[in-house]
This record gives sequence, C-alpha cells and structure tokens, in this order.
Amino acid sequence: MSSPESAHRWIQLIEPACTSCMICARECPSWCITIDSHTEPVAGLPAGARDRTRNVLDRFAIDWSLCMYCGICVEECPYDALEWVGDLTPPGSRAGALVEEMVPPPS
Amino acid sequence: MISWAGEIVIKVLSENWLAAVEALQADGFHYFDWLGCVDEIGRSDHFRIVLVVRNIADGAEPEVLSCLLPRDDPKIDSVRGVFAGAAWHEREAAELFGVEFVGGERRRLLLNPEFEGTPLRKDEVLAARTGMNWPGAEEPEEMGDPGKTGASSSRRRMVPPGVPDPAVWGDRDASQAAADPADVAESAIGGRVRRRRT
Repeated sequence: MSSPESAHRWIQLIEPACTSCMICARECPSWCITIDSHTEPVAGLPAGARDRTRNVLDRFAIDWSLCMYCGICVEECPYDALEWVGDLTPPGSRAGALVEEMVPPPS
Repeated sequence: MISWAGEIVIKVLSENWLAAVEALQADGFHYFDWLGCVDEIGRSDHFRIVLVVRNIADGAEPEVLSCLLPRDDPKIDSVRGVFAGAAWHEREAAELFGVEFVGGERRRLLLNPEFEGTPLRKDEVLAARTGMNWPGAEEPEEMGDPGKTGASSSRRRMVPPGVPDPAVWGDRDASQAAADPADVAESAIGGRVRRRRT
C-alpha cells in the first residue's frame, strides 16, 4: 500500500548521491545507520597533479528495529542522499531481519 | 533584572521564592503558565528555576521569575500551595534534574520508580552506550585497513554525544579524583575530542 510522497514512513538511500561522509551515522540518535566504505585513487588526473582519493560506499544499512523515524539523517545529509518515502518499512519476523541492507556488503 | 525572550525576568533568591510567587498572585497574576529548570553547567555551578505567571484579566506581559540554586544542594520551596498545577512541573524538574522542592509532591511523574539518575543534567552520562560500538566512530579513509595511517589518523577522534571522553569518565586513572561535572558535560557533547597527553 502506498501513500502520498510526503508521508514519513520509510527512509531511503539515493546511492549515487552518497559520499560516505558519515554525517548521518554520527547524527543518528539511535545509532541505527551502519556505513562501510573505502577510498580509491581517482584515475585520469592530468600528469603532475597531486594524487587524490574518493570514498567508495561498500555498505549502507539501516536497522529498522532501532530507527525511531526522527528524520535527522534526512535533514542533516549535505548531499540530499536520504529521502522520505511513503511506503512502509519491510517487515521482519525477528529483530535481526529488520536490518535493511540498502547497499549490501560485498560478498 | 535580565531579559529573556523579550520579557523582563525578575531574579529571586531561593529563600524569597515562595514569597515572590505569592506576591505576584496577590498582584493579579492568577494564571500559572509554566515552571522549568535549566542546567547552567559551563556558565556557573547552578540550576536555574524559571517560573512564568500571567494576568489573564488585563492581558499584560507575563511575569518571569528566575532563581539560581547551587548545584551541590539544589533546594527550593514548592509553590504548589499557591498554584496547585505547579506541582506537575515541579515533579518533572525534581526527577529530571534532581532538584528538591521542599514541601512539594514527592511522587515521580515520568520515570520508573526504580530508575536512578537525573537524565536532563548535562553531566549525566549514557553509561550503557560507553560499551557499545558507535557506527560513526570510523573515518572513511581508515575502514577495513586498521594499520593505515591516512590523513585522518592525525585528526581528533570522533565520539558520540552523551558518551564522554574515556580519559574524563570511565577508563580514567583511578588514583585521580573524579572529574569535575563541567568537564564531564563538556566532553560528552560529542564531536572530535582532544587527545589528552600526560
């Protein structure tokens, strides 16, 4: 069942916008966001340029058993990579099943 | 007198508190608005009790009373004999800040009877969290490579709000005296902490 987009029911990651900056995980009062990332050298720099690295997101998970839907992560994200969605969060039969891997860890 | 939110604040000594509230009520301020408590840690070793009363009949500005109580023995007279509704506000301030309202209602309002602590004092530590892994502790550059000494390894370490620097609270030198409440409160703000060098 879906409802108007303004409904605050489910927080979703817009993966291409995420820079793994950790701000959402640090601002979350209930500690429900887990982020794993690594850095990679940026390829294709002009010759003589200083080496640069960028963050690559490896895992982004929200534990719906801890989340209290306060939306602080949505507000704080400087890259608008988190948004409210009107759908309900996926159900689970036990607490561990409520961890939603929005970007699953590499196997 | 100081100003708060555009209102004139009347500063009262704790021994004059009840008399001041009675005088305001006698002066036509029959409507009790609210009573609250503020932890003044970092500015002074006090709690501030604030009380707001209004005169509904003439619609004048509300009167704001403020009283500083020493942190080590916060005691003030209850005004529930003047405004019965103030008892609820006093119960809340009493359990959340550990302030004693002499002659007030002693039952708890919000917390479980077995709960120990004063949750709204700023030096109150979220003890259960000191033993948990905080998901925000890691820096992107260091993940999955503990031995790496990236740019961030020279940065200050991140700590979550409510969990103080271990050097101040918890994993500190037991032979030292307990940390000052203001230091505990300051170190539990969260963010990057200073590495203490001895």
